[in-house]
Amino acid sequence: MSGTTWSSSGAKDGTDPASSARRALQHHPLLRRSETGLFVLIVLITIVAACALSDFRTATNANEAFNNAAQIAVVAIGETVVILGRQIDLSVGATLGLSAFLVGSAVGHISGPLGPVLGVLMALGLGALLGLGNGLLVNRVRMPAIIATLATLSIYSGLQVIVTNGSQLYVSQVPAWLANLRADSWLGIGPFIWIAAICLVATSFLMRMTRFGRDIYALGSNPEAASYLGIRTGLRTFQAFAFCGALAGLGGLEYTSQYGNVDATAGSGFELTVIAAAVIGGVSLFGGSGTALSAVLGALLLTEIENVLALMRISIFAEQTLEGSAIVLAVAVYAVASRRLRRPLRREQLMAQFEVRLGQLVEPPVEVATATRSSDGPALGSSADG
Amino acid sequence: MASARHLLGRWEVGLVAITIVIVVIAQLDGGGLISSYNLQTTSLNNVVLLCLAFGAAPVIMTGDIDISIVGTLSLVGAFTASLWAHDGVGIWVAAILGLLLATICGVVNGLLVVLLDLPSLAVTLGTMGAYTGVSFLILKGSAIIEFPSSLVTLGSSNVTGTPVPIGVVVLVALFAVLTYVVHGTQFGRSLFAIGGNRRAALFAGIAVNQVRITAFAISGLFAGLAAIFYLGDYDTAQAGIASDQLLPAITAVILGGVSAYGGTGTIPGVAIAGVLLALLQAALGLHGFSGEGQTIAVGILLVFAVGGGSLIRSGTFRRLWPVKASRSSSANAVIDAASTGGG
Repeated sequence: MSGTTWSSSGAKDGTDPASSARRALQHHPLLRRSETGLFVLIVLITIVAACALSDFRTATNANEAFNNAAQIAVVAIGETVVILGRQIDLSVGATLGLSAFLVGSAVGHISGPLGPVLGVLMALGLGALLGLGNGLLVNRVRMPAIIATLATLSIYSGLQVIVTNGSQLYVSQVPAWLANLRADSWLGIGPFIWIAAICLVATSFLMRMTRFGRDIYALGSNPEAASYLGIRTGLRTFQAFAFCGALAGLGGLEYTSQYGNVDATAGSGFELTVIAAAVIGGVSLFGGSGTALSAVLGALLLTEIENVLALMRISIFAEQTLEGSAIVLAVAVYAVASRRLRRPLRREQLMAQFEVRLGQLVEPPVEVATATRSSDGPALGSSADG
Repeated sequence: MASARHLLGRWEVGLVAITIVIVVIAQLDGGGLISSYNLQTTSLNNVVLLCLAFGAAPVIMTGDIDISIVGTLSLVGAFTASLWAHDGVGIWVAAILGLLLATICGVVNGLLVVLLDLPSLAVTLGTMGAYTGVSFLILKGSAIIEFPSSLVTLGSSNVTGTPVPIGVVVLVALFAVLTYVVHGTQFGRSLFAIGGNRRAALFAGIAVNQVRITAFAISGLFAGLAAIFYLGDYDTAQAGIASDQLLPAITAVILGGVSAYGGTGTIPGVAIAGVLLALLQAALGLHGFSGEGQTIAVGILLVFAVGGGSLIRSGTFRRLWPVKASRSSSANAVIDAASTGGG
């Protein structure tokens, strides 16, 4: 992992595998990208596990693991967009649960070929609506995102208990197309994987090729500078939360398909899994750094670790410990790697700053100049350390 | 900052006012919220919650967050119970070893966050899983029950001759100590300085790293104390206990006036917010609202309290976005820009 790192340049960071492989080779040394390192790690684990564990090689197991990863990935992609804008959404689990129950029961009443289309639209719409609620609190009420979405997590999961009213949604009430979605196969690949792939490509395009994406990276890298640049930070925050909510809603539809039974606890705790996937994928919680692909790879790695541990018959009790340690390890590795990459750059910036300050020293009255100067010395030292 | 302090002067007053309104409405509506039995049950049910909230407050004041507290609680509960039940250690010796372990858990969080300069949310998300997992490894899904009467007395009995639970008395003592530490010592002032502006605190000669790690240690220690209260109150130790207490505990801290970005808040504020939440839930429960109604009410209260506060504050800092930006003066915006992502 020593060669892995993330690129600190925001907008160039997005990548979609289809079109940018060549460009990545031209513009970035591929080896310096965190996604490459993560991918290699996943391949290595896969090879070792496939050699050592006969159960791992079975098609059923691979299918199962990919389906789980794809479901996490869809929501993790949405969460990543929010995190890239230096916010966080803790309410995705409740959004997912609400969508799983409400849309799951609604599509039961729609017959004919319109069912799937309306179902997906309703899931996206409901999720986006709940996401807009988060955006409203963060943006208009000016609550910190972690508190606002903590509050909506309470509110949405309370609503979930109210709408479920103690009952459950059973497989028999779910229309056939939704109930069979998980086991289905389109062109030999499961629908969940198709959905995740579509989300990945679409989000990568959005984040890399559109103004929305560039604005989000700018906003996440430095909110203040972004607003001075004329970026409509409020609008972008709204959009990011709505986008995240929409994908969480879609994840809810998948949940209904996957588990059949949906009750008041559906999706609780899912927000932590999703954030863990993003963090393991190398999305920086400080904002501005990471890609949709990182989130997908993070979801894959997280699922694979879980899968291998289960197959190794490692006590289910040890799993949580190892997963928790994996998160801490991943954050630490990314932080150290990015710092190593950034060091020369930072030194240059500090030198430039120092020159600016020297220039300022000439201008203002003497008292102010000494005051500024006394705070300059430690500034340089501490920034270089930290 | 002066206006923020001015606002905070009224924050606790506002909380007390809301509490009184809730109590009055509940009383007028009948149901007997203010009866000694009700108050006893309510306070016993919320000792664990408030203990967690007290511990989390200093960390949040420094601008970090610790969500591993419930993991620590679970681990210490399992560890203490297992020492007592399986290794024959006296319950109070086991409890003290448990508190030691809790402090170590907190220090580990602090070292990871501070020395490696990692985001505290990600680190404590990881250690929450790790600590909870270890508690599962210790107890393997079994439960330990029937603790010695001395522990159960602490958790669920009253002070002789009065209707006041011993747990509440101990909690008030802890509250007094923590209030002194946070508001009466140099360490406490350092917490706020770091939360207000970490770089400026460094310039002022504050041992920033040491203070931040100590804050995490306090958080761990209080999670350990919460575990002891839990064992005494519920007379049961199981892996994963009280995992539903995390969000209410953080809610109490934030409702108490501690900014999620650090630098503001008071321990008495957190205590009042905890009492407010406890009374609100008890009142709603007495009037037939089930758990979900209470959850929604807490969420809405959080929105109104914090949102209202932010709106007032945003009148002062309207041009700056987001709230975090209001901390950095234009003078060190350059430095911030240079080290974005570094902390």
